[in-house]
Amino acid sequence: MDKEVAIIAYAQTPYEADANASREMQVLQVAKAALEAAGLKRDELDTVITANNDYLDGRTISNMRLVEPSGAWRKNESKVEMDGAYAVLYALMRILSGDHGIAMVVGESQASVYAGYVPGTMMLDPTFDRQRGLLNEVSAAALQARAYMHASGVTEEQIAGVAAKNLGNAAKNPLALRSDAGADAAKVLASRMLYSPIRELMTSALCDGACAIILASGKAATKAEKPVWIKGVGFSHDSYLTERSLSRLTSLKDAASRCYSMAGIENPASQIDLAEVHECFAHEELMAYEALGFCPEGEGGAFFDSGATRIDGSLPVNASGGAMCANVVCAAGMARIIEASMQIRGEAGERQVEGVKTALAHGQTGICAQENIVFVLGGE
Amino acid sequence: MERFFDGMREGKLMASRCPGCGRVFLPPRMVCERCLTRAEDWVELPLTGSVETFTEAHVRLAPDGTLEDLEDPELIAMVRHDGADTCVAARLDAPQAAVGMRVEAVLDPGAENVLDLLSCYRAAE
Repeated sequence: MDKEVAIIAYAQTPYEADANASREMQVLQVAKAALEAAGLKRDELDTVITANNDYLDGRTISNMRLVEPSGAWRKNESKVEMDGAYAVLYALMRILSGDHGIAMVVGESQASVYAGYVPGTMMLDPTFDRQRGLLNEVSAAALQARAYMHASGVTEEQIAGVAAKNLGNAAKNPLALRSDAGADAAKVLASRMLYSPIRELMTSALCDGACAIILASGKAATKAEKPVWIKGVGFSHDSYLTERSLSRLTSLKDAASRCYSMAGIENPASQIDLAEVHECFAHEELMAYEALGFCPEGEGGAFFDSGATRIDGSLPVNASGGAMCANVVCAAGMARIIEASMQIRGEAGERQVEGVKTALAHGQTGICAQENIVFVLGGE
Repeated sequence: MERFFDGMREGKLMASRCPGCGRVFLPPRMVCERCLTRAEDWVELPLTGSVETFTEAHVRLAPDGTLEDLEDPELIAMVRHDGADTCVAARLDAPQAAVGMRVEAVLDPGAENVLDLLSCYRAAE
């Protein structure tokens, strides 16, 4: 795609363990901030897409009370019950249809009001796995981690290193819930063992928060200050976790390949300047290096050890701290898109990486990253 | 699933099979996603298989969503039965686990709850 649709504005709340605001107030805050940043009024929005989840919100049709704070009243509004990166995809498609010029996307989650890892068990096969009580998001991720370690020869130290890198990067992200400037692999490996090899500090930080992104085409895009152009997108959906190999993120590889072909990326490691990856667990970032083609299959651990993905490396990954610092379920992929956009625009403050022209953002949904979506974004 | 549970009552492991590509599903599934067809054939599988992956659980999910410590860690394995293309996630009753370890299903045909018919896996003799 060549300068057809751009991200023209965005906003995020700080990510908190228990925000002193309702989800409606959090959405109102980011929607108004994004409109103000875009220099737009509510009346100028053509379409609104929300990303939220009935079983996390504890009510059905969970977008019904987000109509007011998202600016969607009597507009063409719809919702995705998946990661917010899919809401951005939906908005992109609506704009590309030619029927809409400006789209608002909002996503939100309030982990403080749901029972931690309980709602995630609703993603399990209801007749067997869910009722037997052994699998949940963390134990399933541990099965995935072990399968990947076996296939790629990755060590627990390397997985812990990823968590430490991201928690260290998060110290420069004022919105982060969890950060630790002095984190190292040893500290992560000393944290509480949950399901081997996964320890407490290898899990993402569930949180309260909201994101808004405004997309535009045509004049609204070209006239915007520093538009971030969507150069490509790809997505793919794999089988249920017991019916696919957990040792590879195959659907992420599909998604990346489709995205790269649209964006004209032939050599991702040299053409992409920075990536924001949605790692629900630290090992998934290493798996993503391979699936995204940053390194050959089986070399995720070695690629990490090379230092390439550190904030001062040749291809920084999760300079924001990624989901290790805040996993705002339903908006986590949007946060990745916003962080990648901030890097392209040079707005990332202390975590700014020099010379980011092309950046990748990734979102995922489902147990063990069943579905994956990849965006490649670029500046002027 | 009824045929799967009924089979275990008789000490048999019944899997569904796609008539198109021959893909074998255990636990059984009704649809083959590759052929877009009903997986309506049935085959009996041996009790033996290999550990695809495993984890040692030090915690369990509590009703409030937190992870509470287990008194004794327990092994959870994903097992691919010989002749199957998919995996079963179950408890592994063994001192330790390894990827590729040979195991066999322990059935309890008299179990009251159908979910307990496949009680666990243990090292194959």
